[in-house]
Amino acid sequence: MKRAPSKTVEAILGLLIPPACREQVLGDLHERYKGPLQYFGDALSAVPCVIVSRIRRTTDPQVLFMEAIALYLSFVGVAWISGQRAFLYEPWGLLRLAIPTCVVLLALVLVDAYADPAKRWPVKPLVETAFCMGLAFLSQATIWATDPDLAVPLRIMFLGAGTGLALLSMLRIFFPKDDNRPRGAT
Amino acid sequence: MAKHDSIGQFEQLVLAAILSLREDAYGVTIHEKVAELAHPKPVSLGAVYVTLDRLEDKGFISSWLSEPTAERGGRAKRCYRMEALGERALQESAVTAKRIFDSLVEVLGKDWARQWGKSWGKEAG
Repeated sequence: MKRAPSKTVEAILGLLIPPACREQVLGDLHERYKGPLQYFGDALSAVPCVIVSRIRRTTDPQVLFMEAIALYLSFVGVAWISGQRAFLYEPWGLLRLAIPTCVVLLALVLVDAYADPAKRWPVKPLVETAFCMGLAFLSQATIWATDPDLAVPLRIMFLGAGTGLALLSMLRIFFPKDDNRPRGAT
Repeated sequence: MAKHDSIGQFEQLVLAAILSLREDAYGVTIHEKVAELAHPKPVSLGAVYVTLDRLEDKGFISSWLSEPTAERGGRAKRCYRMEALGERALQESAVTAKRIFDSLVEVLGKDWARQWGKSWGKEAG
């Protein structure tokens, strides 16, 4: 009887591999299976490369740059308009606003890479962006718990996230991700 | 001649592997073939996946999912085939390699080429 990798290990690997290439990568690893150590080595070599390659394929640097500018300006703009200009002049004030921006962008990059190309629905851009904003709030809560001086004021967070959500959703609707296999694929 | 992306040495190996495997080109077989071509350098499975993605983005190869098989735990293969653009890029690389070889022969002499041919023959078995 042919030896096969453990179902649990395959299930864990399946969670790590982006859905767009999960089928073939898990299949290839299964076919090459000779023993747990060899399987682990293969997985260690293949999975990070597959994730990075998927991120490269699903991330459009120009759109990401636009998203970064839009989100950062929403936080700065809200701080300026909502009467909290003093925050912008505080030491590291502008840099602190970059923290939620970076968290949201990183989350968006990963969400795009791990999106299932087979599943599409009309409000996907809005839901994905809202999820990433939620992660930004979670990161702010963590920062608040560890070093409150680095956290962004709650009012700016809420208003900035709201504005950012609207802008980012619009950007993602106007510049949809081409998450199918690229040119030449059938 | 139409302008297209140039290809690196590893991309040449992957393209050559796909070309020689024909209908049977998918992750596992391509990795085996590339490892054979790149011998004695080790080749990781991850590097092959990244290169396949890049070549597909450049339009040099195309891919499709086959039927699931039991030996793969009921999972499908992603099969690859060479496109005309890839074939042309590989031919250009071969021509360049030939030019490099010719210039080496010109400088180092025909004896060197003969000796190199013998040692290469031994290595290839």
